Amino acid sequence: MPDSGPLIIVERAYRGSVETQFADVLYFIRELNRQTGGLHLALRGLTATYALEAPSYEPAVRLGSRRLDTLPDPRASIREMLDDDAVVWVEEPDLARLGPTARTRLLDGVRCAAQGELTLRWAEFPRVWFM
Amino acid sequence: MAQKITPTDVMLAVYGSPHQTELITTALRLTQALLDRGARVQIWTCGDATGLTRSTLGRTKPRNVLRWTTDYPSSASVISDLLDEYPDLLHWYVCRFCSDERGMSEQIPQVRRRPPFTFWDHTKSAGKLLTLGVC
Repeated sequence: MPDSGPLIIVERAYRGSVETQFADVLYFIRELNRQTGGLHLALRGLTATYALEAPSYEPAVRLGSRRLDTLPDPRASIREMLDDDAVVWVEEPDLARLGPTARTRLLDGVRCAAQGELTLRWAEFPRVWFM
Repeated sequence: MAQKITPTDVMLAVYGSPHQTELITTALRLTQALLDRGARVQIWTCGDATGLTRSTLGRTKPRNVLRWTTDYPSSASVISDLLDEYPDLLHWYVCRFCSDERGMSEQIPQVRRRPPFTFWDHTKSAGKLLTLGVC
């Protein structure tokens, strides 16, 4: 475990696209990862989908003649955080709820924890934040 | 004298808050799909959704420090442009009470603020009402 990096837990997924765009919860967490020198990110509930490979799609929407192509792309954000040496976790029960093949579609580098495993390790982290 | 309400085929009452779920994006996509079919649409926002069109948002969101030169349109800008493109088909109403209560009285010029108890008159002016979310 890192000496100073927090454990950040995100449980609420998909909190708005048109009004949010780049400024989703992962935008802030990514910067925290840089400032803390490395954090652990636990994606719980539906946020586990952020850590899965998925068919290619472009996060964009057409509104009138405007093509708004700056919508949140949480999967890309997770990939960038992994490249920046963040430790990303999902929990086994959340994966199971996403289907029998979900585990085989985890992004490279994402770690899978047993149910409750991360909670039992809270004491190892100097800070535990729900975001 | 009471303001005349333009009849529409559909009314979307948006009660749910921005930045919580995909409700706002869904409402806008649904609106676009209706407009594509030539439907006349009115949107009524209550609660925190009245903030989508407040003028203090400006044209763009604050800068993204990771993409400093990219402009990201504010919700007010997106909605303003949509209203400009469909002046005869799309109408946007903002609950006066909700926007006043939340300090969001200053709105973009394309929307009309309406007293809350005109809501029933608006529903009667629409062929179909769909409410999205709760305040």
